[in-house]
Formats: sequence, C-alpha cells, structure tokens
Amino acid sequence: MAYESSGEPRTLFQLDGVTKTYGAVTALDDLSVTVPSGAIGLLGPNGSGKTTMIRTLLGLIPVDAGSGQVLGMDFLHRQLNIRREVGFAPENECLFPAVEGVQFVAYAGELVGMRSKDAMQRAHEVLDYVGLGEARYRKVESYSTGMKQRLKLASAIVHDPKLLILDEPTNGMDPDGREEVLQLCRDLARNKGMSLLFSSHLLPDVEAVCDYIIVLGNGKLLAQGNIQQLKQVHNQCFEVRVKAGSETFAQGLSALGCVIEARDDVLLVQIPKGESPRMLWRAAAEQNQQIRYLRSQRSTLEEVFLKALEQK
Amino acid sequence: MPIFDQGYQHWSGHLSGRAWRWLAVTRQGIRGGLKNRFLRYVLFAAWVPALALVLMLCMWGLLERRSSLASTFMQYYMALLQPGVVADPQHYRADIWRLSYGYFLEIELRFSMVLILLVGPNLISQDLRFNALPLYFSRPLRRIDYFLGKLGVILAFLGMVVIVPSIVAYVLGLLFSLDITIIRDTFGILLASVAYGLILTFSAGMLILALSALSRSSRYVALCWVGIWLVSGIVATVLQAVDSQQRRYVYYNKMTVARPNGRDFDNLSRAERDKQWRAYRQARERAAEEYRVAELGFSAHDWRPLVSYTENLSRLGQQLLGTDQTWKRLSLLDPDQDARDQLLATYMGPQYPWYWSAGVLTGLFGLSACVLNLSVKSLDRLK
Repeated sequence: MAYESSGEPRTLFQLDGVTKTYGAVTALDDLSVTVPSGAIGLLGPNGSGKTTMIRTLLGLIPVDAGSGQVLGMDFLHRQLNIRREVGFAPENECLFPAVEGVQFVAYAGELVGMRSKDAMQRAHEVLDYVGLGEARYRKVESYSTGMKQRLKLASAIVHDPKLLILDEPTNGMDPDGREEVLQLCRDLARNKGMSLLFSSHLLPDVEAVCDYIIVLGNGKLLAQGNIQQLKQVHNQCFEVRVKAGSETFAQGLSALGCVIEARDDVLLVQIPKGESPRMLWRAAAEQNQQIRYLRSQRSTLEEVFLKALEQK
Repeated sequence: MPIFDQGYQHWSGHLSGRAWRWLAVTRQGIRGGLKNRFLRYVLFAAWVPALALVLMLCMWGLLERRSSLASTFMQYYMALLQPGVVADPQHYRADIWRLSYGYFLEIELRFSMVLILLVGPNLISQDLRFNALPLYFSRPLRRIDYFLGKLGVILAFLGMVVIVPSIVAYVLGLLFSLDITIIRDTFGILLASVAYGLILTFSAGMLILALSALSRSSRYVALCWVGIWLVSGIVATVLQAVDSQQRRYVYYNKMTVARPNGRDFDNLSRAERDKQWRAYRQARERAAEEYRVAELGFSAHDWRPLVSYTENLSRLGQQLLGTDQTWKRLSLLDPDQDARDQLLATYMGPQYPWYWSAGVLTGLFGLSACVLNLSVKSLDRLK
C-alpha cells in the first residue's frame, strides 16, 4: 500500500453515491467507496457490478448519479486523462487483427500517445517481461489463450500506467500459465509500485496478488478492507489437535460448555465467553491428553467473501 | 529466456496530445493495407494516368514556349486537336488543362473505387470480428478519433492517386511553361481537383466505413461495395438506354415521309423514285437533328444518372472543373452547327443540375454517419 508523506495511504479511487442502471437493472446502486493505492482485489458474484464499476472508473460509461475520482481526476470530466494514466486488460478475447505480437503492443502504446519509435522499443521490453519475447514476431491470431492474456497484459503496461486494471486475467489459463501471470502481477504491484485493480472470481488468485479487497453484490459495497484484517483472528475459537482420542476430548470439552466442530483430525473449538485458552490445557491434563497443535482460528478469504454475501 | 533479463522498467517518455491520436489509427491502417500485394499493384497502375497527365501538361508547356521538342509532338496535337487550338496554345491553355485534369480525374475515380474495394471492407469489420473496439475505447481515444483514423486510411490511399498527382502535375506543368500568368489561368483547376479529391475521399470513405461497420465479414462488405459501385452504374446505364431508345423511336416515328417501298414504289418512274428517296432521307436527317438537339435539352433534367454512385461523383467533378464550358468554347471553333452539336453530344456529360448529385452524395454521407453512429458503439453497449 502506498503512503503519502503524512503517513496516510494515498487514495487510488473514490466513488460517491454512484448509481448506474441499464433499463430495469441497477448495476451500481448508490455505491460509495474509497480505496487506497496498492493491489486491490475486486470480488463479487456474476452481475454484482464489477465490470460496470471498472467501466465507470475508466469513464467509459455515463453514470445516472454520483461522482468520483480516479488518481485524483474526476471520472465524469477527465476520462481521457484517466485512461492515459491507466492500463486496462479487458476480460473478453479482443485483438488488433492481422498484426504481429510486437506490433500489437506498439500500436497499443501509440494509441495512448507514445511516439512510434518509443512504442516499438517499449513493446520489445514489455514482451520480454511478460515472457512473450520468443513469440513477438508471430501473428497474434496464432497465440494460445494464455499467450493472449499475457499479450493483453503487455499492451496494458506498455505506457507504464499508474493503475493497472485487470479483468479476469487468468481466465482460461493452465495452472503454469496462471501462476506466471500471478507472479507478474505480484511483481508489478509489490516491487514496481504499480497500483492494481484485480477483478476475478478466483479467490486464491486475488489472495496471491492483492492485499486489499472490495466485495460487491447487487451493485452495493458489501465489504472492503485489508485482507489480513478481514481474515480476523477469532479470540474465542481455536483449532486443536490432540495425540489420540479426539472424540473423548471433544465430549469432555462439550461438557465444559464449548462448541465443537470436528474437521478431519482437527477440532474447531469455541470456548465459552470469559474463558481463556488455558481451559483447553486444563481439560487436556484432566483427560490425560497431549495437545499437539493449538492456534487461534482465522477466517479464510472464502469465508470473508461468503460472509459478506450473506449480509446483503 | 533472454540472455539478460532486465525485468520491468518504468518508462518516463513523452505522450503526445490528443489532437493527433487518430493518426496512430491511420498509420496502422496504412501499414496493414500496404501488406496487400494487389493493393500495391493497383496503386502502381493508378499512377500511370498521373504520368500521362504530367506528360500532357509538360508538353503543352513546351508547345506554349514553341520549344523545338514540341515540334516532335506537334503532329500528334494536330491529329488530336483542332488547328486553332494548336496555333494559339496560350489562349487555350486553361481549356486544355481543364480537359486533361477532367480525363485524369475520371480515370482515377475508377481506380479509387478499386482501391477502396481492397482497403475499405476490412477497416471496421475486422475490428468487429476480432472484438478490438474495447482495446481502442479503453485508451484515450474518442469515437470521433477512431472514425477519423479509419477515414484517414482512405484519405491516404486516395490522396496518393488523386490529390498528390494533381499537385505534382500542376507544379511540373508550371515549371515547363515558365510563364507566371499560368498561375492566374490554372490555379482554380488545381483547387478544383484537390476539392474533388477531398469530396471523393469523404463521400466514398464514409460510405465504405458505414458498410464495413454493418458486418463482421469483410467479404459481404466488399460485395456491397461492388453493388453500389458497379450495379448502380449498370442500372443507371440501362435506365438511360431504355429511355433514350423510347425517345429515339418517338422522334423517328414523327417523320412525315414513310420509307418508300412496296409494289406502288416499284411501279414509279426512276425520277419519281429518286424524289421520294430524297424526301425520305431529308426527313430522316431532320429527325436525327431534332433528336440530337432534343437529347441535349432532355439531358438537362434527366434524373437517371443519379442512380449511379460514380456518375454523381463525376457530375460534381465536371462542375468543379468546368469541363462543359470548355467543350462549349472548343466547339465554337467548328463553323458547322451540326458538327458542334455532335461534339457536345459526344463529349459533354450529363447536364442535369449539379446540386442534384450534391444532394444525393450529401444524403449518402448523412446516412453513413448515422449507420456509423449506431453500429460502432461505446463500451456502454458493448458486450
């Protein structure tokens, strides 16, 4: 996450009461959100308004109500300036036809305003970076799905944007290719100081790249925050594994007022309010059990996501 | 893997302003177009008439200066032009330039149609087929920039065969004449030919872009273009021919003297037969003359050429260059009225008001703009 000299995180974008409807469908419903710089994951089920939000940020669509800023620029009036500072890789397969890979990326740079020579030089650099150096002179129509995704990534970063928006960047990729793209995204966000808005259905992908998430549902903000903070530590819930006889141990804990859930060889134990983890040690000593593993329970990102969806 | 992997490097170069962003689209279109071998051949062939124009203007310049070189070509001029014109080349300079440009533009119009057939169909339909529009519109590019960029491709190719040769021929003609008054006499012709090139580009360019935006298949677009270019021309020609035949039939039926034949005619004396034949021939000649005059009059309000797209463009070119006035001036050199009428009927184009054609072309332009506006949508309406 990037910070200003004052120590406060820089705002990447901000939406205030944004509403967008398509006929009877409300894609964004009075959405207000302020997001700091860094690698941001955009989560939400299908039809939750993720793509509409991205298009709103790029100033590609007019909104019915609301206002906002992207990189400090008003998205209602300075769309072209925003698009100049932002790189965008759309979800769908889209290509500039009948060109070689290097021409494709150079053309993308020229459209942003780079000089032809600069764009070509830069195209070679970013193609090397995304691992398409060997295929740069092949026609883009002959690229595999994974190569096309990487090509889109290359064309989105050719002008070195401040914010990179990736819409489902690992769609249709094999595990190796997916890991490579995630590695590139991580590198850009963590080592190169590029802010990232990473929209995906794949929670492990988001978790691998991002440190902040926004969860949308029915065009509304359901949750937002730092992933580590959202994956909160549950002070009264513990994961416990004992050497043997976990069933007997569970019965003993139940008798003491704990709520037990067995998951494989681990017991998820919720101790009564006012009690400390010491009661687990006491109970083990009384039952002559050996505790081999004990840690406070943390929510997974999936749980955070599902919990947010349940709240809507 | 590269030998030395430098990873991601930041870039801090200069980004150009928005005003010329369409030029990137045009450059890409030109690069793509020039990959087509047939297009290169057609471009090469289209410069042959330009070469002929240059030769004609340069030779006329030499003729004006009474250059010894000109005497070599004099015999050809004498064969092609009336002696009065060759005798005073300076006086007829503007007329000859006008006609030369007129023929040049008429031929280049055909080449332009072929060039557009080779370049135009892919311009937008290919972007639709490969879903490239999100790539354009997610960058700092407006729809107008996109359209201007695509239109720029047509402008570039038609400019290469119409506008640039017109200017080059003018400059060379000027240099070979070495007479400053030539600018006064012919500058309007240069402006007219450049204006015609621009009208041709914007009209045909918008039309092919609109067609290209209607389909993801370039082949269908090419077929539609052929239809507009050739089929409309054929329909207009057929309509004109049918109408002309009907009028001819009516005029020839007006002949008061019937064709002399039959048993009664055979029984007449030789002198009487000759008399009837003479009357018949005179009536035919009268009818033919009346027909020619009537045809000239009729062409002033014949709407049928409007059906042809290229005919409309030709009519505007003819009006801009003023070739009809030139033919009228040149026809005055012939003392024989019949020959004058014959010359005008043969060489002058359609005489209907030029603004009819301007109206048709403006209508097509507006229709094309509407189609483009509806077919190439912003991302708001894209999937």
